[in-house]
Amino acid sequence: MTEPSPLVLIIEDDPQTRRLLKASLGGRGWDICEAETGAQGLTTAKTGIASLAIADLGLPDMDGVSLVRSLRLVSDLPILILSARSQERDKIEALDAGADDYLTKPFSTGELDARLRALLRRTAKAAAKEDVFRLGPLKIDLLRRKVFKDEAEVSLTPIEYRLLALLVRQAGLVVTHRQMLKEVWGPEHVHDSHYLRIYMGQLRHKLEADPARPRYLVTEVGVGYRLVGQEP
Amino acid sequence: MWGVAAPGLCTLIDWPLRHTLGPASILMIYLLGVFLVATRFGRAASIIASLLSAPAFAFFFAPPIFSLAISDIENIIGLGVMMVVANVTSNLLERVRFQAGIAAQRESLATALYCLSRALSEAQDEQTVVLTAISTIYDELGASSVLLLPDADGHLRYPADRPLRQSLRGADLGTAQWLFDSKKSINGDSAYIPVKNHVTYFPLEGSQGMVGILAIQTATAPNLSNREVTTFLSTFLNQIAQALVRVRLATQAREATLQAEAEALRNSLLSAISHDLRTPLTRIMGAAGILAERESSLDPEERIDFKKAILDEAERMSELMSKILDMARITTGTISPQREWNAIEEVVGGTLARLDKALADRPVNIRLPGDLPLVWMDAVLVQQVLTNLVENAVKYTPPGSPIDISATVRSSMLWLEVADRGPGIPAGLEDRLFEKFFRLEAESPQTGVGLGLSLCRAIAEAHGGGMGAANRPRGGAVFTLTLPLREPPAMEREEEALP
Repeated sequence: MTEPSPLVLIIEDDPQTRRLLKASLGGRGWDICEAETGAQGLTTAKTGIASLAIADLGLPDMDGVSLVRSLRLVSDLPILILSARSQERDKIEALDAGADDYLTKPFSTGELDARLRALLRRTAKAAAKEDVFRLGPLKIDLLRRKVFKDEAEVSLTPIEYRLLALLVRQAGLVVTHRQMLKEVWGPEHVHDSHYLRIYMGQLRHKLEADPARPRYLVTEVGVGYRLVGQEP
Repeated sequence: MWGVAAPGLCTLIDWPLRHTLGPASILMIYLLGVFLVATRFGRAASIIASLLSAPAFAFFFAPPIFSLAISDIENIIGLGVMMVVANVTSNLLERVRFQAGIAAQRESLATALYCLSRALSEAQDEQTVVLTAISTIYDELGASSVLLLPDADGHLRYPADRPLRQSLRGADLGTAQWLFDSKKSINGDSAYIPVKNHVTYFPLEGSQGMVGILAIQTATAPNLSNREVTTFLSTFLNQIAQALVRVRLATQAREATLQAEAEALRNSLLSAISHDLRTPLTRIMGAAGILAERESSLDPEERIDFKKAILDEAERMSELMSKILDMARITTGTISPQREWNAIEEVVGGTLARLDKALADRPVNIRLPGDLPLVWMDAVLVQQVLTNLVENAVKYTPPGSPIDISATVRSSMLWLEVADRGPGIPAGLEDRLFEKFFRLEAESPQTGVGLGLSLCRAIAEAHGGGMGAANRPRGGAVFTLTLPLREPPAMEREEEALP
């Protein structure tokens, strides 16, 4: 990259974790600015200098969901949330409130780096819309609404296609069950989890070599789905 | 009415027979009329009948006929005797009727008492006792009531549950509290029952003192002053008090058992933690110490070794901690299953993805039927079960040996099996494996606190399913998770393919 390193805003109350994140991300070429509280984080986010935010779910001054909502009001920068295992519900609520991805503590720096890059890529891609998305043997032509596997066209139902297109738009990031149900079936179906399970199953069987061990359409159990794999 | 009609009727019957029957027989017929009236309509009617029978006899039958005068002395005596006999029999009958009424009431109260004591003896908790008491009072006395029980500080409280149809609202807590306290201090000698605003407050006394206060809306129960009902009520109060005491003692006993179990759990947890957490911690401290003190004197390879050791041990500790926490959260009920319709395929896929590194050289055979139904379950928890089972298979079987994961549907249950080709389970230990902190060898080099499988069982049971272990016919162990299946909700299917 010829541009200056992207600036990551870390909103985390624990100084040890902040230090660790700063050291490990700094070593991988990210610039860091820190906020100890949600309020501080909001102030920094408003200035617009940060290109990404990492937010801890257990801040002393506000809960994760309100932090994400407030951040979304002032800025559309990508948000990655950090959660402990006991915060399963909060995590999903924060994602539904507008956070873009999550990592469960403890995590490795490599994982964090990969997620942050995926987030940045998506923002860049949103700016320059691509018409064809390639992933391993899969080719998704978003303009002609066609899907190919090993160059052979795969016939998808409209719902299957919409689910896939949604995952493609958020490639590399988790999309929650609620977001998918709302987007594809409409707001009145957000609790019809069986719809999603059945169609995602069909999609896996059509696109994956081994549907029980998917390589691309990955299940984030209890949270949602994620389209992963090497990207162009 | 019948008191008037009966003598008239008797007169009509007797009139055509006045020449064949003697006056004595005619009097007997009047007597019969009075007697019948007494049996059916009580004393007042029978007195009217007997008083009317006398002039009727005198007027129509005793010569001179059509005059109230009676000339024959025999007829006067007969009439007198009839009047006396009629009166005595009607008195006797009245008493019989009264006794029968009391007997019937007693019987119904006795039945109520029997039903109540049976219901109370079956009650397992305070709430059921209260419910039984309140509804019985409503059914038997037609009065609404409320049971006021003391909290830990001895203050009477309204029940926390939503009031029932039969519940009394607006009992005076002050009066109840006063009665409760005074009964407690003078040990129940005073028989005074306070009444305020048509609400009567009855003390409930158990063998070990006051249990609570029963407040009954007296205005709607007029027969509450009846002696039979009062006796019934005192027996009834006694029964409720005893049931409450029994339930309370049972709760205490249960709590004591739980506490003992928790104590045992804590002890084994402490010993497990001291071994399993201290070992990695010692290694971390050692390696970190060396790095902090003399990193510059180490060659690069050594440095990396120490750092890797820290990372590995920290990962082990973190894994251990989450298992201990999960166990605590599930067994204490802090987390309950968040059930949704989930696909087994996704849970299997998620598990294998999570264990990708550990499974590196393992062949994993997955056999999932294509028509596997969705399961109503908490996918995160079931994935935890599957993760533990696969991890165990990796840990306890030779490297490179296969792991088989399969699912079947039998007798409306889902059977999810994780099987290996390892050494199998020592005979007789198939069930003990699932006990908390059970390990085949206490100080084995394998890490773990023996919580994994008990966690699996706790999760399975929280879903209404179960966990089992067995040996495979041709070697190896198989662990089975069963989950109940239910009919998934209907959904509209779309058929057309994308154009």
